[in-house]
This record gives sequence, C-alpha cells and structure tokens, in this order.
Amino acid sequence: MVQPIRTFRFRRYLSSLLTLALAAGLALLLIASNLSLRDTHYATGWALLGMILFLACYNLRKKLTYPPLLRSATWLQLHLYVAWITLLVFAFHIGFRIPNGIIEVTLATLYITTFTSGVLGIILTRAIPPRLAVRGSEVIYERIPMFRRELRLRAENLMIQSVEKTNATILSDFYTAHLADYFARSRNLRFHLMQSHKPLHNLLSKLTTQDRYLGTEERAIAVELRDLIKTKDALDYHLAMQGILKIWLFIHIPLTYMLIAVAVVHAFLIHVFLG
Amino acid sequence: MSKTSVLDRPKRWDIPFFAERSQRDQTPEVAQKAQEELVQRLLVIEPFAKMENRKKLKDILHNDTRLLQFHDGDVIVRKGDYGNSAFITLVGSVKVLLDDLDPTLLGRKKTKTQSRWRSFTKLFTLPRMPESRDTRLYPQLREGSGTTAKPGTTFAIQDIPNVLKALKEPLDPTDPKSPLKITNTVTMETGVLFGELAALGRIPRAASCVAQGDTQLLEIRWQGLRDLRQLDNALRQYVDQLYRERGLKDALQNAAQIHLHQRSDTQLQPIVQTAEFATYGSYDWYGSYQALREENSNPLTQEPVIAAQGHYPNGLIIIRAGFARISCKQGSGEHTLGYLSKGDVYGLAELAHNAKHPNDPTPLTTTLRAIGYVDIVRVPTATAEQLIIPNIPVDQIPVLQNKVSSPPSPSTPTQNPSAEKDRIAPVILESLVENRFINGSATMLIDLDRCTRCDDCVRACSSGHDNNPRFVRHGTTIDHYLVANACMHCADPVCMIGCPTGAIHRTTQGGEVVINDITCIGCGVCASSCPYENIRMVEIRDQLNSDAIVVNPNNGKPIAKATKCDLCTDHHGGPACERACPHDALKRVDMREMDILSQWFNR
Repeated sequence: MVQPIRTFRFRRYLSSLLTLALAAGLALLLIASNLSLRDTHYATGWALLGMILFLACYNLRKKLTYPPLLRSATWLQLHLYVAWITLLVFAFHIGFRIPNGIIEVTLATLYITTFTSGVLGIILTRAIPPRLAVRGSEVIYERIPMFRRELRLRAENLMIQSVEKTNATILSDFYTAHLADYFARSRNLRFHLMQSHKPLHNLLSKLTTQDRYLGTEERAIAVELRDLIKTKDALDYHLAMQGILKIWLFIHIPLTYMLIAVAVVHAFLIHVFLG
Repeated sequence: MSKTSVLDRPKRWDIPFFAERSQRDQTPEVAQKAQEELVQRLLVIEPFAKMENRKKLKDILHNDTRLLQFHDGDVIVRKGDYGNSAFITLVGSVKVLLDDLDPTLLGRKKTKTQSRWRSFTKLFTLPRMPESRDTRLYPQLREGSGTTAKPGTTFAIQDIPNVLKALKEPLDPTDPKSPLKITNTVTMETGVLFGELAALGRIPRAASCVAQGDTQLLEIRWQGLRDLRQLDNALRQYVDQLYRERGLKDALQNAAQIHLHQRSDTQLQPIVQTAEFATYGSYDWYGSYQALREENSNPLTQEPVIAAQGHYPNGLIIIRAGFARISCKQGSGEHTLGYLSKGDVYGLAELAHNAKHPNDPTPLTTTLRAIGYVDIVRVPTATAEQLIIPNIPVDQIPVLQNKVSSPPSPSTPTQNPSAEKDRIAPVILESLVENRFINGSATMLIDLDRCTRCDDCVRACSSGHDNNPRFVRHGTTIDHYLVANACMHCADPVCMIGCPTGAIHRTTQGGEVVINDITCIGCGVCASSCPYENIRMVEIRDQLNSDAIVVNPNNGKPIAKATKCDLCTDHHGGPACERACPHDALKRVDMREMDILSQWFNR
C-alpha cells in the first residue's frame, strides 16, 4: 500500500505544532527549575551543544549517502525545527541577557549569526527556486560559462552577417559600444539579486532607439539580437540566483564549525574553572 | 599522451547463449561441441527442418539457443518474472501452473544488494577517474595487457529460469504432502513453444512452468526468436497465433474494471471466442517519435484512431499493451482527457448507458488514439452487454455525465478516477502524454519551485555508482516540473528491442530495466532507441592499468559501454537521488499511479 503524499501545509502545521508543544514543555521545565533555584546552566549548555552537534550532523549525512539513514528531506525538517528549539535553550542558557566576557560574547555572536544565516538560507531556498523556474530555460550552474560563450558567438556571428548582408554598420557599432562587454562576461548580478529588470530594460531601449536608422533586413537582425540579449539576461539571472543558493552554505557551514569549536572551548573552560 | 589498455571490439554473439551460464562441469570446447551437435539435431526437426536460409538458421540456433535439462518438479519459469527467452520442449513435457504459488516455493530471492557495510566503505574507495572498470570481468581482454579473466566468472545476462533444486517432490495434486497443491494446470507436450508472450511482449511471465519427468528444453533468447520469425513465414504465423490466443485471456483477466479476474476458463471462453485482437501503431514506435520531436509537428497526426468520438460504440476496448490517449474535440483541436495503459478499459460508460437505455443510445463521447504502439482486445457490443456489463457492480460502472465519459484510472478502478486526473493541470497532462512520459514506471520528476539546484541528487547517484552519475539534472520542462534525463524504467522499454546480446534486461524482482555491463558490447542500439535520450554511451577505463582508456587494438578506438540509471537496485533504501533531495523536490513516479501523481503535483 502506497502511503498518501502529505501536503507541505499539513507537514508544516504538524511540525510547528509538535515543536511548539516541545518548546512549551521545555520552557515550563526550565522556568520551574529556575524557580526552585536549581542551576540550569550546565544542563542547557550541554543540551545546546548536543543539539548543535546534531544539527551539524546533517552536513555529514549529506555526504554519507549510504547506508540509508533517513531521507535527506526528513533530516532537513529535523534540522529546521531542532534549530528553533536551540533558540529557546540558548535564551535560557544566557539567562535572557547580553553575555559578557570575550568567549561568551564571541560564542553568542557566532550562535546568532549561524542561526540567522540558517533562517536566511531557508528563506532563500524557498524564495529563489520559483523565480528561477519562470525565468529563462533551466540551466546547470556549471554549464553557464559554456552557454554564455555560445551566446556570445551567436551574437558575434549575427553582427558579421549583418555587415555582410546590409553593408551597414549601425548594428555592429551598437554591438561594439554596448553589447560586446555584455556578452563577454556575466553582468548586472547586483541588479538580478534585487530582482531588478532595469539594466535589461535600458539595453533594450537603447536598441529600440536604433530602429529608426535600420533597414528592413537590419530590423530582422535586431529582433534576433534582442532575443539573444534577453537570453543572456536570463542566464546572468540564473548565475546570480543559483550562485546565492550555493554561497549561503559557504557562510552557514563554516560558521557552524566555528561555533562548535568555540563552544567546546567554552565548555572546557567552564569545567576547568568549575571550582 | 595518456595510457591505453586494449580490448577487442565486442560483437554480437561474442558470448553465445549457451556460454552464458556457468558450465562448471564443461570445458568451453566440450560446450562448443555439444552446441554444434544440438544444432545438427535441431536442423532436422520441426519447426526448423522446413526453414530456408540454412546458414542464417544455423547461426541463430548456434548462438541464440541452448539446451536446458530439467528433472521432475524443477521450476522452469516463475510467474511474474521478466523473461527475455522462449522455450520449445524437445523431450518430456511441461506443466503450466495457472494457480498462484507460495513465493518461497518458487525460490524467489531479492535482487543482490550490497551489504550496508560494503555500501558504506565504498564511499571511501571511489575510483579517481570516471567509468573505471575491473577489466578482468570482460572475456575479450587481450593477453599481455597485464590482466586475466577471474576464475569462475559467470555471465548472467538475463532472466534465465533458475532450476529450483529444492523442489524435488513429484507433482501430485492429490498428495496432501506435496509442496505444490495444484488444481489448475495445463500440460505442454513435446514440440510446443511457450514463453514467447513474455519474450516478445516484454511483459512478466504469465504463469509458472514446472518440468514433468526428465525434460529437455530448447531455450531461445528473444533476439533469436525475433530473427527466426523473420526467417520463416509459417513460424511467424504460428508464434503470432499463440501470442494472440494466450494474450487474450490474460488481457481479459487483467482488466480490473470488468471484473473477469475470478472467472474460470470455461466462463471466459464465450468472450474469448468473440473477442477481436488488434494492434495499432508501430512496434518500433520510438523511431517515429524521435522524428516527431525533431519535426515538432502535431503528435495527433502520428496517433492512429482506435475509436472516434461520435461513432457508434461497436465494442468494449481493453488495452493489452502500450498506451492510448483519450481526447475530445475542443474548437478546431483536441483536448486530452487522460490516457490508458495495460488493463484499462474504454467505452464502458457508453456501452452501459446504451444497454440500460436502448431507446436513447449514445455515440462515443471521446476519441481513443494509439500512442506509439497499442495492442487492444475488442469485445463486441453484444457480448459485452450480455456477459460483461451485467456482472459489474452498478457503482463500479462509470457514469456518462453530460454524455462525456470519465476516463478510467488504471490504479484505482474502484474510485472515481476523474477526480484524481482532474487535479492534474491540463497543460501538464497534455505534455506528459505528448512527450510519452506516461511510459515511465520510475520517471524522475523535479519540482523546480522547490529544487535549489544543489545537485545533492546527482552527488548521491554518483557516489552509489563508483563516482559516475547515472542521470543528468536536465531534460524537458513542463510548467514548473522537470522531467529529468534519467531512465524511466518504461512500461514499454523500447531500448530492449534492439539489444543484440540481451545485456539490457529487466530484473526478476522489481522489473527495473538494467544493463549487464559485462555483456554489453557498446553497440549503442539501446542508447539510440531510447526515445528519451536517457542512456549514455561511455568510454571505459581499466582500473587495473592506472585507469587507462580501454581501446580496441584493431583500430585504436575506445571501447564503449551503455550506462543508465538502475534505480539503485543493488543498494539498500531505494533510489539514492530521491533520498538525497533535501527539499522533497525530486520523486520517482510510476506514471500509471495517477492518484500518487496528482497528489504529488498538488502538495
């Protein structure tokens, strides 16, 4: 019997509910312990370190494809919701105040940045893919330079044809002035990150203004050139957005390892100076 | 210049069929001599005695057949197995068991999966270079290249019916101690051809067969059977006749919607006698499909009409093999309502309506077209009204709503199928049918709205296959779904049609289409046959010779092998790609399971 597929909404509600229940239980327990004047710092500290190590294990699981230790999607769900619980434990651990001391401040800063980078990451991974899906054709990140080269060659050939066919240099001059660099490398990444179409719009407007100087044949070539410009823009968009999806992990993961290293030092020092 | 390793260019019949099985008690010379004697023996008996073109016949018999010996009670083929060969009884007889048997009695075992420890440790010993192979496994390796064949290496190509040694008790239906309590059997005497349905139709074996007494069988691999049919007209007619007769009953019983699966042979006989058998489209449909894709023309022009909208329903149509499109007129075009595959029924709503309201008959409300190649069974209206419709529970008969019938669902015939199908956006359904992705039993669908392009799926696949990804995260985009270039393990695997050695085959357990690397001769027929471009030819390297590219010494050209997704059949946990996707963006989908498909599309 095949299991019915649950909707994402159902899964989100269920996981959120479970996490909230767990968090509430944990909060009550810690509040009760604090009220009974028990020192919860050691317990919350070790629990936090344990949870962070568990969160870091997800990266290890990704690398170890065998033996099958739950689906990666299940790990990600656990990663996300356990991370939310660490926020609560962290708050109790620092006693809801800004820590002092170099190690403590460093540790707290690292935790907050790692957590924030994680939240940012999940937002990016949910927001970017639908935008990529509707912009240009699907393209593999590593192949983008190859496609860019192909596009440049097509554009250059088009310009050569234009000169040969029409014996006029309006389009080729325009290409040299405005498009040679555009096709040669990735451009406007900053604008793509901000979801701005301004550079594309400007470029196409400039090309449109050339229309009045073009003959019939040149106009046909200009239409083809316009398509190539749009394709290149979509390619740059994919480069920028897929790049962001890859880069954020290069921030999140090193931060995690730094956090673990400093946390271990912190735990060691605490126990050394336990008295 | 990089180093090279040498290997003779593999050819068809490099490894004759008789040499594929482990011959522990025979030297190759003895086996060769025995095969030559067998060929001489076969040439003078029916049906080979009358065949012309003796040279070719001799070649086929020598290379594509082998002699199998069975003792009383030995299992020859098991129901449900995928088989690429047919059999002729030379001595003795064979009992066909029509009842289902306990799987353990049939000696079924799981596909050989790597141990968990081996899977784990392999991650740390992945080859440095792509497509690196242990060339000792290849029989063609030249002497002097530094490696020799591993002793005892066997070449298990395809579904060879394993002789079940444990089953030694004589078959006695009356003996309560007999492991086989068989009541429904048919005996096949000497000279009878069987197993051709599975071999030619690329479908699972319909029944288990057990040897009765000491039995000698001639096993013919399907490539040989195909060539023999071309060689002899009488044999072609004979095979076709058998193929049709035996397929008909099976088709009727497999059609869940008409509730004939529990009927006995006697009860089915009147239906079988009146039913017509027809084939639409081309068996080698992939050629026209590839041309169609290149031309980008209207696919409907390539799809023969089986039943047209507005025509009188002259029978109940049951799909025996292949796929058919249900469409209805919309403007000057046609709107796809759904598709039918093996076991589905067409025209039931109209026939039931007409039987109930003889004074207000309705014509067909939709058109049925063959997508590629379709085998159908047509039960005439009178027979259907008399023998089929009265036995279908009233709540199971599709209702003719506004004279537009609901397309039935293959997987959930008892539910309202249109409800599920309606949930798939028309643009997606049209594209899935148009591109014939409906052929897939494990189509890789990627939801581009969730895919972060992290390539974890590719990496997982790669690490499970010695650092060689067996698919490309690229393909046809339909709406925001990507149908990736990964083997779909088709219901109608046309890639298997042209393979000269049978290296590409279905596994006995799950029916996944896999390639035996050892017997693949790198001819590229499967790769060019695959309509979806999901098989890649790769140049292999010699693991034992510093990963040098293996070349044919005669022309210096690299030796190629066909590679594709094997659905991780030799690993625990199912397809690694699906398990590795962190965002639930990737799923391997059986396109016949419409309810799962529509649920996935509407998560």
